[in-house]
Amino acid sequence: MSSTTERVDRKAKKREKIVRTALKLFAKQGFYTTTIPEIAGKIGMSVGNLYNYFSSKEILAQEIIREISAYLGSRIREVNDSDLHVREKIRRIVSIYFETARNEPEMIDFFLRVYLSNREVFHEGCEGMICVNEFVTEIMIFFDDGVANGELKNQDFFSAFGLFMGYLGGMVFLNGERILPRRLESYIDDISENIYNALKVP
Amino acid sequence: MAEVRLELIEKIEGEAQVRYHYEKDHIDFAEILFLTGRGIERILEGRDPWDALAINPRVCGICGHAHLIATVRALEDCYDDLQVSAKAKQIRELTLAFEVLQNHFKWFYLTILPLLELKAPMERVLEPSRLLGEMIALLAGQYPHNSYAIPGGISGEITPVELLGVRERHQRIRKHFQESVIHVDLEQFVRCDRIETMLEREGDLPRAMQRILDWGWERLGRSHDRFIVFGSNDLFEAGKSIGTRLRRHLDLRYLQESPIQGSRARRVLYRGRSYETGPLARAMLLKTPLTREAHRRYGDSLFSRILARVCEIPRLLRYTESLIGSIDLSEPAWVDPGPLPVEAEGVGIVEAARGSLIHQVRVGEGKIQKYRIVTPTQWNLGNGSREDPGVAQAALIGLRRGDPAELVFKSFDVCSVCTTK
Amino acid sequence: MRLLWLSALACNGNAHSLLNYPGFQEWQEDFHWLYHPLLPSRYTFPEIEKGIEGVEVLIVDGTLEEGLIKNRLPYRELLLRYGDQAERIVTVGTCATFGGIFAQGGGGRSGLHFEGDEHLKGYERFWEKTVSLPGCPVQPEVLAGTLSIIRRRDPLPLDTLHRPKYFYAYTIHDGCTRNEYFEYKIDEHHFGTLEGCMFYDHGCQGTFTHGSCNKILWNGVNSKTRAGTPCLGCTEPDFPREGLWRTPKHMGIPARMPLGVPRRAYLGLAGIAKAFRIERFTRPLMEDEGG
Repeated sequence: MSSTTERVDRKAKKREKIVRTALKLFAKQGFYTTTIPEIAGKIGMSVGNLYNYFSSKEILAQEIIREISAYLGSRIREVNDSDLHVREKIRRIVSIYFETARNEPEMIDFFLRVYLSNREVFHEGCEGMICVNEFVTEIMIFFDDGVANGELKNQDFFSAFGLFMGYLGGMVFLNGERILPRRLESYIDDISENIYNALKVP
Repeated sequence: MAEVRLELIEKIEGEAQVRYHYEKDHIDFAEILFLTGRGIERILEGRDPWDALAINPRVCGICGHAHLIATVRALEDCYDDLQVSAKAKQIRELTLAFEVLQNHFKWFYLTILPLLELKAPMERVLEPSRLLGEMIALLAGQYPHNSYAIPGGISGEITPVELLGVRERHQRIRKHFQESVIHVDLEQFVRCDRIETMLEREGDLPRAMQRILDWGWERLGRSHDRFIVFGSNDLFEAGKSIGTRLRRHLDLRYLQESPIQGSRARRVLYRGRSYETGPLARAMLLKTPLTREAHRRYGDSLFSRILARVCEIPRLLRYTESLIGSIDLSEPAWVDPGPLPVEAEGVGIVEAARGSLIHQVRVGEGKIQKYRIVTPTQWNLGNGSREDPGVAQAALIGLRRGDPAELVFKSFDVCSVCTTK
Repeated sequence: MRLLWLSALACNGNAHSLLNYPGFQEWQEDFHWLYHPLLPSRYTFPEIEKGIEGVEVLIVDGTLEEGLIKNRLPYRELLLRYGDQAERIVTVGTCATFGGIFAQGGGGRSGLHFEGDEHLKGYERFWEKTVSLPGCPVQPEVLAGTLSIIRRRDPLPLDTLHRPKYFYAYTIHDGCTRNEYFEYKIDEHHFGTLEGCMFYDHGCQGTFTHGSCNKILWNGVNSKTRAGTPCLGCTEPDFPREGLWRTPKHMGIPARMPLGVPRRAYLGLAGIAKAFRIERFTRPLMEDEGG
């Protein structure tokens, strides 16, 4: 019994390690230049064994985006479940995004450089927004609450979503390119205020 | 010798009171009073114009479908140029005609026969009522109170399966009419121009008309002999007639509504005069043979009025049959008319069971600013004065004690809920 | 069983609807109308005003209005007298139950126990014996069926608004022929078609409205939603809400969720369902498949 538990545990850890390592490599080098042997080599496991966990590079990439979505989704959910004013909620979401970009830069890089740039990799298995469902759902709930409370303007979902997420993505990109003169976090107040002003009820 | 008696009129849509003023042995004056009103027009104000499609059928539980069709016509009239397929128009005409048919059966069997102390099995009214409800529901979703007629056409799509269901029931009603109402071929009956020929047949209609003659009531209930019809289609023609003199052209600007003291109803006049509307008026405008003959003999009496209404049944059956046959199912059920203009006015006119129904809407800033409904019973039952009595009033005045005042009154088919709205 | 039907501000739609009940003849053998607004009855209305005995079920129809007088007596007086006499009270239709459309036409108007969803106390002593049969109008099967169950003294489980569960435990969505378009989040709908779901754009309230419209079917043959008309939510306390043909949305997200479904669950499932563009739902149902 206990040995089974241990085995499952060990497998889960291994799986986690593969995801972490692949995430770093994909984020840094891009999807196509990263190979399965390279990932396996980095961990010190055989290519054959890695295929036991993920049957293709595409499936591995899809698992990564799901985990990123789940992570961001769970963080935003905490904000949604709070009683904060929408203005403060926006600040929290921006902070979460930038904090993630700083502490786990490969997550945001992967999202921007792999998920959004190599859509063909995600066609089968990640149709539409399935693999980022948890993240998108929380953003929807954030918007829905804001409109229901009379704090946000009722508009097309994608107009609002693009404004919010495109803005944050753009800032992280500029930061990654070392174009921003200041630390990313120092923009949180201004950016939150801009987003709030753009989305609030006129 | 003057005496005033107040009577409650029941078994109509809602209730009405009539205050009879007797002078010696006859009715010298009568006031028709409607005590309750619901304020539908007020409810509509400020709402999204499409809401009228849901709310207006609820004006009336028996002729609500006519209110829906009048509403959609008023809304469509708000557009400058709007396409509605022939198919959608035909299907709307069908469901509207089915309701008129149903109302005719219900009125004849539930209202008129008992007042003539004639009995008929309940199923004679239940069966056609139910079947006609099913026929409307097949095309419109449900009955009473659907909202399937919308600007641009109808909300759903019709397949041959629904039409088959309509056809089968149509045949059944046709058969029912010939078996129960009058034992005669429909075509033959429509052409019939002799009262005696009609009376020779078996059926509830000859029984009823014979009873009226036997009791010497055939000349009772005569009114102004002025008729008005606003709606026209392949079955009815618009116009007004005074006696047998016709005038085709009508202009809604001459329509006047005025409040009636002590009643929730409003009187309606055309160029300052009251007119009778409904099946007798329609028959007078069309000069249909049998009704014209009745009118020639007995004038605009309860005899002519009752006969005219039942005589519409075979005409409606023929009309709906030809409509069913002419529907081209390949046409679109709905053509997107685009958003309703934010500032507009529209009029919708319908020939309902009891006569002309007129809806007028004014849209401002995208909402209903004003909504006005003029119902057939307002024409027929609106009160006037002693000098200028309304249509039903005039029919009641002069009746003697012992005359069937209730039958005279109900020969107009009293829909209190429509009168007060 | 002896029935007394008292209408307040009504359109008579409920009374006419009952006549459409397919088993009406047989059904009626078990009932006696002490008073009905259309059907032959034992008493006239003035006799009802004078006072009669023997009412077993009081049927209340139409919106109540303060100070309403039908003929000679205040309607309230009749309600109190016969409400006490009756074993059960049935509010028939949405007007008598929640106030309905006509409650919006003037002040002092409500249902017997409710003004919208607010529980009133004016007839509180009748609450325990009242059964609510909202609907605009009520389906004949619901009224005839409920009265028969009462007559047989069979159990009649009710929801919190006293609507019989046998008829109101379902939603209007149950049995709708457009269900698949909802389940797979095909949010495109055009009027005049057999396809598509009115939930997303055209105001359909079927997923959160209680009733049996698509289970029993209207007139035994059809329903509003099957005929491409949105469910107007007519069995619920907030009927009729404004903008009945439009779905209120917050940034594209329907403001009201299907009955009891948490928003997160709905949005999660919707996101997944929407991701798959399922070919079958994009084609007309009657399209020639070349077979």
